[in-house]
Amino acid sequence: MAAPSTPLKNTVKGYATYMGREGHYAFLLHRLTGLGVLLFLTIHILDTATVYFYPSLYQHAIELYRATPFMLGEIGLLFAVIYHGVNGLRIAVTDMWLPKRWAIEKQRQAVRITLVVAILLWAPGALVMFYNMLLHNFHVDLLAFLPFGK
Amino acid sequence: MASQVKPNFETTAWRFMRYSGILLIPLAWFHVYLQDVIVGVHAIDIDYVAVRLADAGWVTYNFLLLLFAFAHGMYGLRQVMFDLVHKPSTRRILSILMLIFWLVVSAIGATALAMGARPELVQ
Repeated sequence: MAAPSTPLKNTVKGYATYMGREGHYAFLLHRLTGLGVLLFLTIHILDTATVYFYPSLYQHAIELYRATPFMLGEIGLLFAVIYHGVNGLRIAVTDMWLPKRWAIEKQRQAVRITLVVAILLWAPGALVMFYNMLLHNFHVDLLAFLPFGK
Repeated sequence: MASQVKPNFETTAWRFMRYSGILLIPLAWFHVYLQDVIVGVHAIDIDYVAVRLADAGWVTYNFLLLLFAFAHGMYGLRQVMFDLVHKPSTRRILSILMLIFWLVVSAIGATALAMGARPELVQ
């Protein structure tokens, strides 16, 4: 016999199996980036608060943020903050000023545009962060490989 | 018509999520781009934070970020919880726990912002 369905199971099953294409993926990405940013933000408020409450601890937190896995995470965080903002702007503007644009074809196109805009706004910052990570953690200066470089 | 609905907590929160979200686009993007990309985590230490928290303008900026970003995030978390939990009593308990968590973490952050860094205490 099947296990009884619960709101939790139904919701998670819906997240996974709903075939809403662009809108579905945008919803999932919005949730994922939102929860990710909130997790980081909570840790970030508390670790930064150590500058007043426990100053000796702050340097340890910063050293953790300088570690390679964390720097890769920060590149992901930059994408999360930007994507959540661009996609949230689509939702807010459509909800409040252009409700007629809540038509499926228009939104499918809008969702594709938000992803492209988010990647374009993220890429320059991601490149700089990746460059800094190689420079500080691996002593590799990518600029030195450029033909017109230093 | 939507304008005839008497506003309650949830409709006000619905508006808050949209307006605070729009405000957070310049606030949060500039903050992350400045500290993580332009300055970079290798250039940040407690002395750097101390200089910034001695500036009333940056303290105000960070205070707005703390206020709007964390409230926006915690209300968003509550929305996710409402998707997963349908029992009214459980929703209520979790909402109260989230409210307490939001107040406590906000108070810790606001205290540190108001008091500033104390690099002279680093051992």
